[in-house]
Amino acid sequence: MTLSEATHQAFVLLLGGDPKLWGIIWVSIRVSTLALISAVPLAVLSGFVLATFTFPGRRALVVILQTLLALPTVIVGLVLYMVLSRQGPLGEWHWLFTQEAMILGQAVLAFPILAAMTLSAVQGVDKRAAETAKTLGASRLQAMWTVLLEARFAVLVAIATGFGRVLSEIGCAMMVGGNIAGVTRNITTAIALETSKGEFAQGIALGAVLVVLALAVNFAMNFFQGKGLTR
Amino acid sequence: MKPIFALQNLRKSHGERLLLNIDKLELQRGNTYLLLGENGVGKTTLLRIMAGLEAADGGQFQFDGQFVNSDTERAALAPNLIYVHQHSYLFYTNVAENIGYGLKLRGIPKTEREALVAAELVWAGITHLRDVPPNQLSGGEKQRVAMARARVLKPELLLLDEPTANLDDAAREQVVELIAHMRDANNCVIIATHDKELAEIPDAVKLKLEEGRVQG
Repeated sequence: MTLSEATHQAFVLLLGGDPKLWGIIWVSIRVSTLALISAVPLAVLSGFVLATFTFPGRRALVVILQTLLALPTVIVGLVLYMVLSRQGPLGEWHWLFTQEAMILGQAVLAFPILAAMTLSAVQGVDKRAAETAKTLGASRLQAMWTVLLEARFAVLVAIATGFGRVLSEIGCAMMVGGNIAGVTRNITTAIALETSKGEFAQGIALGAVLVVLALAVNFAMNFFQGKGLTR
Repeated sequence: MKPIFALQNLRKSHGERLLLNIDKLELQRGNTYLLLGENGVGKTTLLRIMAGLEAADGGQFQFDGQFVNSDTERAALAPNLIYVHQHSYLFYTNVAENIGYGLKLRGIPKTEREALVAAELVWAGITHLRDVPPNQLSGGEKQRVAMARARVLKPELLLLDEPTANLDDAAREQVVELIAHMRDANNCVIIATHDKELAEIPDAVKLKLEEGRVQG
């Protein structure tokens, strides 16, 4: 099959509403969205705490967080595989090769991005914001909430970046998800599989969807960045 | 008459330099004070210490007869004591929500809050800017919003730090006009400035900060 034939076939599959193809897309969106929802509260809180408070070990935590940004996805997959496998500490959960395991893995991957970008976003808020809140009668907690609200556009950029990262990762999803058709097969693992089989049409179709999703995420990021920068 | 704010033996150093060395300062209700002095003489630091935003190296402070010696105690006086920055910070919402910020913190119901905000918009002459975000405001408009945001909370002591700095003539005139109307019998306004126009505010008491000391 030539490249143009494969591309034509890809659009036929996409536009024809091929259930198998759209099922794979749905797995990707569902898993990545739930992973992000799971990671956001703790990650944003961690980033905020690191940006706001000084305490022993803070600097070490920041360095660890920054190191985790470059963590290879297969390493996360490997560690989670061992933790979730039958002999592992969480083996009783029977999560290995399920969407829950993929969600957990992607949440772990998203965490450092969300926390590090929130840290940077909160540090970037003008010091006068907290002072103004306090002088207008805000309690310490209310002033901190105000500062977080002031950083909201940058935090949204962090969330969009995190979504982009987990949506496009393959290593962790492959290792803890197992690429089971109709269950844990997502866009990236399906592209790898179909390409290895020489089935380029489905790979191109899924690749096109991934590019469209990446574009949407980047448009969202751009929008939020614009909002934040024009104050 | 019991002063609204009094301080004694205030000492504040920046490194080796003794910036503030004030033996006594008393501010009375119903007065507007102009804190005059060259740039870098410590006017901003004095106001920030009074507001509890900076700690002093030493000194005794009283607000309405109550001792508030620690910066935490003084910060807790807000919003009875409000400090307005030289370049006011407006929250990234809109003008009305900025003015209503402190009222919301106080738990004032929405309808009442809206009425109070509307009255302040009229007072500051910025009704047309009600829904405008801060990035679309000029320096003078931002300062008027900050004045209205402070005034709506009826502070007993208002500390204004160089409120007319970097404003053009027209904006300065409008802000000076507002400041002249911020004082009433129950409050006290202290303005750090070297603006000659502000020095023309009627009945303002002039205080000069020089070499760390205040001369009345």
